[in-house]
Amino acid sequence: MRHFLKHLSHYMVLFGILLAGFAGLILFSYDKAFQIAVASALVLSYVSWGVAHHHLDHDLRLETVIEYLVVAILGFVIIFSLVIRT
Amino acid sequence: MKLFHLLRHLFLPHESNNQRAKILHPGSLFLIVLGLVSFQFILGLANRSFPRVLGYAANISPEEVIRLTNQKRVENGLTSLSENSKLSQAALAKGNDMLAKGYWAHFAPDGTSPWNFFLNFGYKYKYAGENLARDFSDPVSAVNAWMSSPTHRENILNPNYQEIGIGVVEGNLAGTDTTIIVQFLGTSLNGETGSISEAKAKGVAATIEPKSSIAPKPTLASTPIPTPVPIPTAAPPQVTTSESAIAFVSPFSSTKGISLLVTGILLMVLSIDFIVVKHKRIVRVGGRTFAHIAYLGMILAVILILKAGQII
Repeated sequence: MRHFLKHLSHYMVLFGILLAGFAGLILFSYDKAFQIAVASALVLSYVSWGVAHHHLDHDLRLETVIEYLVVAILGFVIIFSLVIRT
Repeated sequence: MKLFHLLRHLFLPHESNNQRAKILHPGSLFLIVLGLVSFQFILGLANRSFPRVLGYAANISPEEVIRLTNQKRVENGLTSLSENSKLSQAALAKGNDMLAKGYWAHFAPDGTSPWNFFLNFGYKYKYAGENLARDFSDPVSAVNAWMSSPTHRENILNPNYQEIGIGVVEGNLAGTDTTIIVQFLGTSLNGETGSISEAKAKGVAATIEPKSSIAPKPTLASTPIPTPVPIPTAAPPQVTTSESAIAFVSPFSSTKGISLLVTGILLMVLSIDFIVVKHKRIVRVGGRTFAHIAYLGMILAVILILKAGQII
């Protein structure tokens, strides 16, 4: 909890990214191309957030970047699969 | 005991997995990604090879769409619509026309109107309407989607209509495998060679006076409704595409199910990891578990909200 409060501004940015991504995916459900673009932007934003956050926290490592990348890609694959099947 | 160790290794932070559940290691997550991609590949392959097993028309039968439509009408104090075989054939022809010409609209790119299909199958109408739906995995969702849209709802609950015809077609529409439901609603002239008064295609705001060789002078919507003709007791011939006969798995539903399972398990393991690491005050190198929970939580919300199907 202490870590969360210390980096509250970082997490507010993260919540903003996730909220914008969520809104884009739901509000533009009629436009598959736009949804995939939103999902791609979400991947880039999430990885960028992870890199920036760990860099500012002085614990950025290659393994950490890979972890964010894989988690972000996992989310993208799930959204992409659903969008192409709708 | 071996199973317990395996489960602990997979799902709980422990010395054996460097204090992070093995399933959360980047290598394991990458394998999950590969598994999901492979699943989609197999689904696409199976959809082409076994169209009767995999398809969007998993549970869509014209009779069920008619039953549900009539249920909505009765709930709103209206009479049920009778199935008309000419309307069913016309609806099926409209669906096949959309697939053949690659359009998703009430009017074809060459200007063919929905009303042409009514007339081509000998259905001389006094009132006519059309609702379209695609990519729904079951008829309940499709009819509910129509009922949620004011214009489509108005069409379904129009007291002027007496008959209905449903066509369900499957095929590739502009590069996407899809199932289209065409709902034709109408009231026939009952043998009259006179006028056509009103035709509505939802999504087209204004009342349309269709061009027709049998209607030299279209009359107004206020034309008295002719006395309904008793419907023959014999069931009209069933009209469906051969592909839509039986299908067991909807690609969207199966994708949604797998996605929910994977995301749910990962969220559960991440939450346990978050609690255990805090409780045991484990210090380790890696990403923020809380951030991953937030990200996958958002993905879970999207999975739950996204629905297949479009209506016009």
